[in-house]
Amino acid sequence: MNDNRDEKLDNLLRSRHIEPAGADLPQRIMLKARGVPQNTPVPLWQSIRDLFGEFHLPKPEYVLAGVLLLGIGLGFSVAPDTNLPRDDGSAYVQSFLSADEALL
Amino acid sequence: MAADWADKQDDQLLALIQDGDGQAFAVLVERHTERFYRLAFRYLQNKEAAEDVVQDAFVKLWESPALWQPERNSQFTTWFYRIVVNLCLDALKKKKPVPLDDDSLVADDSKPVDEMMMREQQQKMIEKEIAALPMRQRTALNLCFDQGLTNQEAAEVMGINLKALQSLIMRAKTTLKERMRAYL
Repeated sequence: MNDNRDEKLDNLLRSRHIEPAGADLPQRIMLKARGVPQNTPVPLWQSIRDLFGEFHLPKPEYVLAGVLLLGIGLGFSVAPDTNLPRDDGSAYVQSFLSADEALL
Repeated sequence: MAADWADKQDDQLLALIQDGDGQAFAVLVERHTERFYRLAFRYLQNKEAAEDVVQDAFVKLWESPALWQPERNSQFTTWFYRIVVNLCLDALKKKKPVPLDDDSLVADDSKPVDEMMMREQQQKMIEKEIAALPMRQRTALNLCFDQGLTNQEAAEVMGINLKALQSLIMRAKTTLKERMRAYL
């Protein structure tokens, strides 16, 4: 009985009604796509060249800009000196205060 | 020449599409429109809406062919089923639900109903009950029963493992058997 119901349900699921698509659907899709330009991925080198092309800079400016970028890059890459003892500031203030008290 | 195009595999066509080949795109569209339309229709139950979804999916592919990455996807159809399902879910979110006419769905055992009427009622009822299932169960049924995918392929489309897919189908069928008792 249960198997019979399973089979009937399977048949029902396989024979569901479908309204057919318009016969010209593939043509409509192609027509629509024809009006849409393709986005092709631009290689990195090409995009850098395009970017530089936008600025129309003469060569010395390229060098200057390059040096500037290099300097900024180096500046960020050198780790700041973080080895200063934390209490230095407070010790300094302390000694200053005690010096002040001594005067009084 | 036409035979040459027909012989080409989907991934070969896609490589050509990535180079801007319109004819390869046309062959791919001709080859697969029907199957993706069927799937979209199952979700949307509306011819125009299903056609729009399939059109959008293919136009997206043409517009950004680099979305297809053969090294990341096993088969074009598996990947594209996912795109169509996602577009259908988006369309369903935007669309207001249209309730089916419940009066025509009540099974009346006391009256002799001719076979055609009974079948029509069965169809309406099964569509209504499938539409009421959780979306993942619905997707599993659509892929396995309507698209004729194997369980493994359907699991791949849904991004789940085989056991999870079998469980979804089993739960869906149990619910449907219960709710369609009068018709089975």
